[in-house]
Amino acid sequence: MNPINISGVRIKGIASAVPECIKTVEEDVKVFPDSDVSKISDTTGVQKRHIVTGNQCTSDLCFAAAERIIIESDVDRNSIDVLLFVSQTPDYVLPATSCSLHGRLALDKHCASFDVNLGCSGYIYGLWIASNLIACGSAKRILLLAGDTISRIAAPMDRSVALLFGDAGTATILERDDDALTMSFVLGTDGSGQKNLIVPAGGFRMSRSEETAILSEREGGNIRSDEHLYMNGPEVFTFTLKEVPGMINSLVTDYSEIDAVVMHQANKFMLDYLAKRLKIPKEKNIVTLENYGNTSSASIPLALTYALSQQLKNTSMNLLLAGFGVGYSWGAVTVTCGPMVMPELVIVPKDVAMQSSKEV
Amino acid sequence: MTKQDFLRELENVLELDVNSINEDQILDDLDNWDSLSVMTFIAMVDEKTGVTLSASKLADAKTVTDLIALLGDKISG
Repeated sequence: MNPINISGVRIKGIASAVPECIKTVEEDVKVFPDSDVSKISDTTGVQKRHIVTGNQCTSDLCFAAAERIIIESDVDRNSIDVLLFVSQTPDYVLPATSCSLHGRLALDKHCASFDVNLGCSGYIYGLWIASNLIACGSAKRILLLAGDTISRIAAPMDRSVALLFGDAGTATILERDDDALTMSFVLGTDGSGQKNLIVPAGGFRMSRSEETAILSEREGGNIRSDEHLYMNGPEVFTFTLKEVPGMINSLVTDYSEIDAVVMHQANKFMLDYLAKRLKIPKEKNIVTLENYGNTSSASIPLALTYALSQQLKNTSMNLLLAGFGVGYSWGAVTVTCGPMVMPELVIVPKDVAMQSSKEV
Repeated sequence: MTKQDFLRELENVLELDVNSINEDQILDDLDNWDSLSVMTFIAMVDEKTGVTLSASKLADAKTVTDLIALLGDKISG
């Protein structure tokens, strides 16, 4: 894999938002009294996660993060040339959620807005698209929003997903800077993995119907409908072991040059094993699942907000970021970041939805 | 690795007592043979033998002997 090198682009800042409501392992034990919930949480690393309520959407979390980063980085919102919304949990099938968010954020009409439908690899793809648009002169400043509300598609009685996923929305500002150091990307896809991480019904291959809504018992006693997320953990793990080490090795083999590694926060066992296999020093491997669970496309920026805010506010860090999973899709980037704007984590109150910047 | 080493590693993955498993063990009869231990097993095999087992091949395995067969000449004795 030959890295794609992009110059002249700087990450100005990142903000992350999570919903107020929290679910904990103690509550999970009550829902699954016959399961070894503590063994599951030891393996996944998840002790609690934040969950949306009512009809709160990813866009509401991303909106809150976007408002925060725009204000704290003192950016003129009319100067934002592109709004990119990366998510697998949009407001509607159509129109694109990015268009709705453009309106809510009161951005200028010249701003091009579009959605990107990716999950685990989504933030890397978002950085790649945004940095390409800036490097080739199509934009000077880009607002990249990435997030998901997987809790809304995880069946509550499906142990394989209900205890793992949390919700979050993030906002990253990228801009032209001729002095910025090069970002190096590798990306890839293997569509043969499509059936291992999928919501079978609700698209156009299998429309919603009375049958698709029926909750039935599946493998391992897990209960879900075809409108819920199905994840084949072992298959996804096999894929990870096959593709991710090679992808990362094509960017980095010597970790003395790297200050921190932030992989998509899929589960702790997988992250620890990958770090071991790649010989990433333990203290450089960021793991934040304990408090937020697997937040899909938000997991990398949320981990940066949670674990590296102080350092990134004050110093420059060489980071390796890697996302991999649903698709199968994967990507990794080495990027030098900071000092940059890193607001504190935003908490979005219960049931707050469809806010616009006129109200806040 | 030897067959005995493999059996001990498998007991470790499944949090079972040493020497409690033999080759005839039927996997479905084991309480702990669930998707989490399958993942831990895949990691163990990857680390000890360098083989990345596909989960679908694993799903076809019914006994411990079948598991050993998946690893071919990586398991001796």
